[in-house]
Order: sequence, then C-alpha cells, then structure tokens
Amino acid sequence: MKCYSCGGEVNLTDKVCPFCGRPLTETTGYRADEAKYANRSEKTKSKVGGIISDNIPIVISVAIMIVLIIALSIASYVKNNAYTFKGDAKRKEAVNMYDSYSAEIQSYLDAGDYTGFAAFKEYHNIAEWEEPYDDLNTLWMIAEEYVSLVSTVEASTMFGPEAEIYRPEQDVDDCYFAINDFYREFEYDLEDIEEDPYKEYIYDMKDKAGIILEVYLGLDEKRLEEYLASSDAKKKAYLEEVLLND
Amino acid sequence: MIKKIILIVSIIVNVLLGIALLLNTVGAIQELKFQYVEEETITPDSMRKYLEWENYGVVASQSHPIRGGAEIKEEYMDYYKLGEYADLLFLKEVFDKAGNESTLADCNNRLAEIRESMPEYAVIFDKMDISKENAIKR
Repeated sequence: MKCYSCGGEVNLTDKVCPFCGRPLTETTGYRADEAKYANRSEKTKSKVGGIISDNIPIVISVAIMIVLIIALSIASYVKNNAYTFKGDAKRKEAVNMYDSYSAEIQSYLDAGDYTGFAAFKEYHNIAEWEEPYDDLNTLWMIAEEYVSLVSTVEASTMFGPEAEIYRPEQDVDDCYFAINDFYREFEYDLEDIEEDPYKEYIYDMKDKAGIILEVYLGLDEKRLEEYLASSDAKKKAYLEEVLLND
Repeated sequence: MIKKIILIVSIIVNVLLGIALLLNTVGAIQELKFQYVEEETITPDSMRKYLEWENYGVVASQSHPIRGGAEIKEEYMDYYKLGEYADLLFLKEVFDKAGNESTLADCNNRLAEIRESMPEYAVIFDKMDISKENAIKR
C-alpha cells in the first residue's frame, strides 16, 4: 500500500512510513491480525508437535517393521536361491580356471575315463552350453547317456553272494531305457558328432558302451546289432533272460 | 488407548519378524555354506543301505563324484571309497578290453591302494570281487 502522506510504498505491518516518518494508523488492523495469526500458528505448531511426539514410538515401530520386512524378504530370497547362487559362483570359477580344468578334462578323455570326466564336469559345474566350454556340448550329451548306461548296468549286475535284490524287474526296465537312450542320442547327434572336435572320444565312448554290453549283458557285436534292430518286447525279453535267470 | 494398542501390536509383530529374520539369516548362511557332495547325508545313507544289501553296483554308481575330484566329508569317505572300488572293478574290464593299458594300470593301482588303506573292509572287497566275477559270467 502507499503512504497517504508521501505516497511511498509501505508494508501492511509497518508502524511508520519508512520514507516520511508518519505513523501509519491505517495498518493497525493488519498488525493486530499478524499478532493473532502468529499466536495461532504457535498454538498449531505446539499442537502438531504434541501429536508428533505422541506418535513417535508408533512411527519408529512401523519404520522398524518395514526394515524388518525388507530384511526378511532378502534373507528368504537368499535362502531359497542359495543353491543357484553357489552354482553360479562355481560356474564363474570354472570359467576362471579354464586352463587347468581343460587340461584335467583332456587327461580324463585321453584315459578313456568318461565317467570320471562327467563326474569332474558335474562337480565343478562346468557349463557346456556357454563359452569357453561350449565345444564340449555334443561330447557332454553323449557322456550323460554313457554315464547313465554305466550306472544302470553296474547297478543291475553287481550283486554280492548274499545280495538282497528287491526290484529285479526294475533293473530290466532301467537297462532297456539306458541302452535305448544311449544309442538314440548317438543317432540323433550323428551329424554334430561328425563335425565335433571330440569326435574320436565320442566314438571311443560308443565302443566302450559296446564293451560294457558285451561283458556284462552278453551282447557281443552281432547280438547287439540284432538287439538294437529287434522289437521292444524282444529287447525286454532278452534283458529278462540275462538279468533275472541267475 | 488405540495408539497404545497399535504400539503394542506393532512391537509384538516386530519381535516376531525379528525372530523370523534371525532364523532365516541363519538358514541362509547355512544354505550358502552347505557343500552338496561333502555334506549331504542322503547318498551316504543310501550307500550304507545298499552295502548291507550287497547291491555293490548301486554303491559304485553313487560314488561317481569322488572320481571327479569331489571333496568328501571324512565320516562318509569309507562309503565313497568302497563305491569307488566297485566302480573301478566294473570299469577295469572295459579298459582292459578297450586296450587302455595305462588307464588299466592306474585302475589296478588305485584298487590296490583302496584295499590297502581299508583293511577292515577286506570281507566286503572280497564280496565285491565275487560280484564282478558273477556279473561277467551272466
């Protein structure tokens, strides 16, 4: 507003004009309002302060609850995924140890010890589907079936003199599937095998599978050929004859 | 009054959450520290059972991790070594027929080594030898 005396710009709460020094009676009402509102504001502040101080324990408790819920969620997530985390860590370690692990793998392969190779690969969580181990992909697919064949045949044939054999029919089925799966996988991957850097080991694995079947299930080369060409019923009948008629 | 009730309830919930967090944290640490092959008890229990049943081939197949360099807990080592013995007996015939002479020699050395290191299991080793012979005769 303007001073009635000098026309200078004055504030609504000024007591005197800062330009001409005239007492400003026209701002008295505003000053009274200012004091009133300031007083109310103080009361409101103190009321709000009271409310806040009353609720501080609840606020703190709720804040702690939120923190606990977040921490609990994280702990549960880590607990539930610990196996994956460890697996990932081991896989990364396998990548870092590529040179030494590759040498180790090569020594298993050169020895013709494919179950040893598979056990090594599994224990160290070597990922054959990604670099730098991706060249093992086809070899691993065959090796998995080879290990299954070895495990099944040894489990179905090596019994002590006083062995308790609970489910001999299961052994027949297991051998039937293990043999089928090995040769099916081999046929299925044949094109890849022909171009695989580990081709010679894969063929050696096939030869060894043949030896296992010959030594432990009586399937020499000719019989194996006949066995593989025969019907499912005949295959099972053969295995029953070998495994159940002791 | 309501505020007090809310406060008490929230404190109780916090205590429960704290206990759950503690248990989960301990569980998570244990899970992270757990080494499957070294510490799991299912396989050694199973091996013990199959050894009693004289199903040596099953024990052999369950012992495969030891041949891949897995670290085995001391208390379970005997089971794994017995399984390894049966496994190598089985594979020995294959290496022999395949003409892997040096692998066969390693195999024989390891078989002798296992036998020597566990004289208290001589009876089981003998039975394993018989089981392999019987398996071949089929």
